Amino acid sequence: MNRDWELLKKEYQEKINASMDLANLEQLRIELLGKKGSINGLMQEMKNLAADQKKEFGMAVNNLKQNVEAQFNKKLEQLKELQLQAQLEKEKIDITLPASQYKYGTLHPLTVVQQEIEDIFVAMGYSVVEGPEVEYDLYNFEKANIPHDHPSRDMQDTLYVDVKRLLRTQTTAIQMRVLEAQGNKLPIKVICPGKVYRRDDDDATHSHQFTQIEGLVVGEGITLADLKGTLELLARSMFGPEREVRLRQSYFPFTEPSQEIDVSCHVCGGKGCPVCKGSGWIEILGSGMVHPNVLEEAGIDSSKYSGFALGVGVERVAMLKYGIDDIRNFYNNNVGFLKNYKRFE
Amino acid sequence: MRVTYNWLKQYMDLSDVTPDELAEIMTRSGLEVEGVEKMAQASDLVIGYVKECIAHPDSDHLHVCQVDDGTEVRQIVCGAPNVRAGQKVIVALPGCKLPGGEIKSGVIRGQKSDGMICALFELGVDKKQLTEEQLSGIEILPEDAPVGNKNVLEYLHLDDTIYDVSLTPNRADCLAMWSLAKEVGASLNKKVTLPDYAYETETVPATLKIASETEKCPLFEGKIINHVTIKPSPEWLRVALNSAGIKAINNVVDISNFVMLETGQPLHFYDLAKIPHREITVKTGLDEIYTALDGIEYKIEPNDIMITTGGKAIGIAGIMGGDDSKIDEETKGIIIEAASFNNVSIRNTARRLDLNTEAAVHFQKGIDPLAGHKAVERSVQLLLELADASGIEETVVCGTNDYKQTVINASVKTINGLLGTHFSFEQMFETFARLDFAPEKIDEDTIKTSIPSYRTDVKVWQDLAEEVIRILGYDNIVSTLPMMPTVQGGLSELGRKKRMVQAMMNGHGLSEVITYSLVSQAKLDEGILSCGKAVEIANPLSEERRYYRTSLLPSILETASYNAARSYEEYGLFELANVYNDEDVEELHLSMIMSEKTTSSRWNNVAETNDFYTMKGIVLSLLDKLGYDEKRITFSVSSEKNNLLHPNKSADVCINGKLIGKIGEIHPLCMKKYDLGRDVMGEINLSALFAEKPARIKFTPIAKYPSVSYDLAMVVNEEVTAEQITSTIKKAAGKLLKEVNIFDVYRGANIPSGQKSVAVEIVYQSADKTLSEEDIKPLQQEIITQLRKQRGAVLRDS
Repeated sequence: MNRDWELLKKEYQEKINASMDLANLEQLRIELLGKKGSINGLMQEMKNLAADQKKEFGMAVNNLKQNVEAQFNKKLEQLKELQLQAQLEKEKIDITLPASQYKYGTLHPLTVVQQEIEDIFVAMGYSVVEGPEVEYDLYNFEKANIPHDHPSRDMQDTLYVDVKRLLRTQTTAIQMRVLEAQGNKLPIKVICPGKVYRRDDDDATHSHQFTQIEGLVVGEGITLADLKGTLELLARSMFGPEREVRLRQSYFPFTEPSQEIDVSCHVCGGKGCPVCKGSGWIEILGSGMVHPNVLEEAGIDSSKYSGFALGVGVERVAMLKYGIDDIRNFYNNNVGFLKNYKRFE
Repeated sequence: MRVTYNWLKQYMDLSDVTPDELAEIMTRSGLEVEGVEKMAQASDLVIGYVKECIAHPDSDHLHVCQVDDGTEVRQIVCGAPNVRAGQKVIVALPGCKLPGGEIKSGVIRGQKSDGMICALFELGVDKKQLTEEQLSGIEILPEDAPVGNKNVLEYLHLDDTIYDVSLTPNRADCLAMWSLAKEVGASLNKKVTLPDYAYETETVPATLKIASETEKCPLFEGKIINHVTIKPSPEWLRVALNSAGIKAINNVVDISNFVMLETGQPLHFYDLAKIPHREITVKTGLDEIYTALDGIEYKIEPNDIMITTGGKAIGIAGIMGGDDSKIDEETKGIIIEAASFNNVSIRNTARRLDLNTEAAVHFQKGIDPLAGHKAVERSVQLLLELADASGIEETVVCGTNDYKQTVINASVKTINGLLGTHFSFEQMFETFARLDFAPEKIDEDTIKTSIPSYRTDVKVWQDLAEEVIRILGYDNIVSTLPMMPTVQGGLSELGRKKRMVQAMMNGHGLSEVITYSLVSQAKLDEGILSCGKAVEIANPLSEERRYYRTSLLPSILETASYNAARSYEEYGLFELANVYNDEDVEELHLSMIMSEKTTSSRWNNVAETNDFYTMKGIVLSLLDKLGYDEKRITFSVSSEKNNLLHPNKSADVCINGKLIGKIGEIHPLCMKKYDLGRDVMGEINLSALFAEKPARIKFTPIAKYPSVSYDLAMVVNEEVTAEQITSTIKKAAGKLLKEVNIFDVYRGANIPSGQKSVAVEIVYQSADKTLSEEDIKPLQQEIITQLRKQRGAVLRDS
C-alpha cells in the first residue's frame, strides 16, 4: 500500500495556512491532530500492515505528524501576533492631547536668592544665625558704634516702637547679638539673614521692608585681603566665574576701613550697558573691617583679634540677577510673577 | 553737594586730569560722585557784533541780521524779540553742536541764514540759574566783549563741570571747599594752595557784648564792622556762587555765603543798625511765633536755640536769621556771627520746622572746630576788598574752644597686618604727608601723625589704616581667604525646619509669598491666631502700616484677593513669617490658602477641588514629616467663632491638647469681603508645634506574616462622627488591629433620613503568625457589639 506522503503533507499545510483565526486553527488542530483526527486515523491503519511494512509506514506517519505540528505551531504564533497587533491598533491614543498637570509650588525669589547665599557661606563653614525683627536700639545702633547723636542715624530713618525698641533697620543688629553671645568663644564665622525696615515710602526702588544678609568673621589675623577674597568668591558664585570685584572707599560706623563693593557687570561683562548705567560696574555690597569700638564693646581684645563684616541686599541681588525693575513686585506676589522662579538653578 | 572742576582748579594744577578722570578718582577714594554734568555744551561758538538788524520781509517776528564774527560778516535770521543792531552776541556757527541739535546753513522764509544767535539756555545752561529775561531772549554780552573770540564758554565762565558728590557722614568736613580741595589733592598727589586770608588794617576796640545762656552754644565769635558799602559782587564771586547753586544777592551777603562754602562755617551777618544796643544773647526757652528772613512765620519752642537782642528774637540759631535784622540795600554796618551750636538741637529744630537750610545742614553734619576763627578772618579780608569795610572792631569771643589736636602713633606692621598688604614705611609716611597729617618718624616701624582740625573722623590707628588703603588704592590688595581654625557651620535647627516646611508646601503645590509685616488696625483685628497684643509703631508711615502683625492669615487673604482680581483662578499660596507681641515674644507662623478649583478641567473631564479635607491632609502630612504622628493630632470644632473660617467647616488643630493652628473653608462673609471663591486656608503656629518633642526615625521589623482585612458597613445617626466610630473600633479590636480606614460615607436611597451609612475597612496583623478566621471572628464580634452599644450602629448586610 503506497501513499503519496508528500501530497498529503502539502494538503495539510495548505489547510493550516488557510486558517484565518485562532478558533478556526483550533478546529483544524482537532481535525488533524486530535484523538479522532486524520493523523491518528492513519496510525490505526498501521495495525493492518505486514510487519516489514509497519516500520516504513510508521516513520512516514511520524514524519507527517511532526511536520503538521511544526506548521501548526508556526501558524499559531502568526495568528497570535496578528491578534496582538490588532488589539494594540485598537488601543491607539492621540498623544498630542494635553498632559495631566502635576502642580508644584515655587519658592519666593527672595528666598531663592537668600538660600543661595546661605549655601555659599555654609559650604565655607559659616553658621546661619537669625535674630528678632522687633529689636532694641542697643543692638541696632548703640553697640554698632552708632550713638544717639550720630550723624549716620540720618542715613536710615527708623520705625520706632518706643524709646528702647524699634524695627531693626539692619541685620547688623544680629551681628551685635552674636558678638555679645560669642565674644569669648572665637573664632566667629556667621551670616545673618533677615527682614529689615526703614521709614521709606514705597516706590519702584524703595521699600519700607526689605531683606539683608550680613556676614561676620572675627578671629586672629583676619585681614582686609581676606575680606576681598571672600567677596570675590561670593560675587563669582552669584554672578559667574568671570566676575571681578572693585572696592571703593565708603563709610559705616561699625567698620573701619569701610568699602562699597562693585562687581563687574554680569550683563555686559564690564563693557558698559544700561544695567550698569554704562560704567561696567554694579554696586551690590557694603563691607569693612570690624571697628575696634565694636570689638571692645563685645569684650574682644582689638589689638589681638580682628574681623570683617559684609552686608548684601537680597532684593538688589534678585533684581540684578533676574532683571526685575520694580521692588514692589516682591511684595505684591502676583502669581504670574512668582511662577518665573520655579526652575532649579 | 555741588563741586565744580573750575573751583578745584584754583587750588591745584589739574592740567593733566580730565573732568571725567577726576570724578573716577574721587569716587574710588571715598567721595562718591553720583553725577557729572557740563555747565554748558556747545562747539563752534564765536562772539559776534550785530551790525544791522531789519525786520524779515515775510514775517512779523523774525529779524534779518548782519553779524560780524571777526573774520566775515554773515547773514543770520533771528527770532528773538530782544535782538538789536549794535549788540554783542553769542553766535553758533554752521556745524555747531548744541544740546538741541546741530546748526546748519539754510534759508528761512526766503532769507539766507548762516548760523544762529544764541540764548544761554540753548547752550544747555540750567534754566534754574537764569533770569526771566535770559529765558525769554538771546544773551546780550557786555560792550567790551571781544568780537571774534571763539572761547565763548570760557569767556562766559560756562566751561565748567559740576560734580554731584554724595558725602558719607564721616567726611562732612568736605562740605568745606578748602577741606575738599585738600582731600582731592591728597588723592591726586598734588600740592594744594589755599587762599591766604591775611589782611592789613587797623582794628578798633570791640563795642559788641555777647552772652550765651545755653550750653547748646559753647562758642560764639562776633565782630562789628561799622562801615560797609552794599553793591553787586564782582563777576568772579557771582560765578563762584552760581556754580555752587547759590544765587548772588549783593557783595556782603555773597561774602557770607562764599566763606561758608570755603570754610564750612555757617556765618550770619546782621544789619548793625537793627541791633542798636550792640548786644547779642543766645537763649533757649522761648515760646513764640517768629518771622524769619524768608518772611514765613515759625512756631518756636523752648528747646530751640535762639539769637536775641534786648530780649527780642533776631534769629533761629544755626538755621535762619530774622527778617528785621537782615542785610539790605540800606545796610551801612554789620555784625558778623560765627558760632557753634549743638548739632542734635539744630537737627531737631530744622526737622520740626522743615527748614533744612545750608547752614543747618553744616551744623548737623559737624564743622571743623577751628573753622569759626578762619571764617571771620576770611570775611574781613573779603569785606575790605569788596565792600569798602572800615571801622573794624576786634573779635569778641564768648565761650571757649576746647579743641585739642589728635595725635596718633601708627605702626606700619600693624596697619599692614589689618589690611593684608605689604606697604613700606616710606609709602605710609608719604601718604600721611599728602593728607597734611604732619608725619614724624619715631622709629623704623612707628610714624607719629598729627591730625588737622577738620578731620574729626580720624581718631584711632584703624582710621589711619583706612587713609593708607584709600589713598594708595584698594587694587593693591591681593585676595586671600581667612586662615583660621575650622569651625562647624550650617543652618540652625530652625533654619533646617523652615526649609523642610517650604519644600513640603511646594510639594503640595503651594507657592511661597512674602508680604509686609506691618498692617493696619483693621487687618490686625481680623487675625484668628493672634499671638497677643500687637507691637505698635510710634512713628508709622501711614495707618496702613501701624502695627507689627500678630498673625498671618489677613495678609495672605489680601494676596489671594489681589491675584483673584487679576484672573488667577487657581492658586495655592503659603507664607512663613514671624509674628510678634508687645512682650517681645516672637512666633514663627505658617499661613496657607488654596483656591477651591485646583486642576483645570481636563479634556476627559477629570476635575479636582480643594475642600476642608485637602487642608486637613496637607497639615497632617506636614506634621508627620516634621515628626508629629497623626495619633498626636486632634481636629476639633472651635468654640470661638470668627469671620474668616466657615463655622461648620473648620477646625482647631491641637497637638497633645495644645492649640497650634486653625484650618477651614472660607466664611461666606470673608468670601464677599475679599471677592474670593470657596478658598480653603489655615494658619499654624510652628513655634508652638516645635515646642513639642518630635518622634525620631526608628527601625520597625518588616512584617513576616500577611495582614488580613475585613470590611464592615453600618448605619448610624448623623451626629455620630467618624472619629467616634474609629475610636470604638480601636478599643474593641485590641492588639492585633493594624489600621481602620473609613472608605465610604453614604446618604440617600435605602438609608433613613437623619442617618448615614459608613463603611470601614479593618486591618489585622500579627507579628507571630498568619491570622486565621478563628482569630478574627471574636474580635469582629466584639467590634460589632461595641458599635451597637456605644454608637447605636446597625450592621448592614455585607
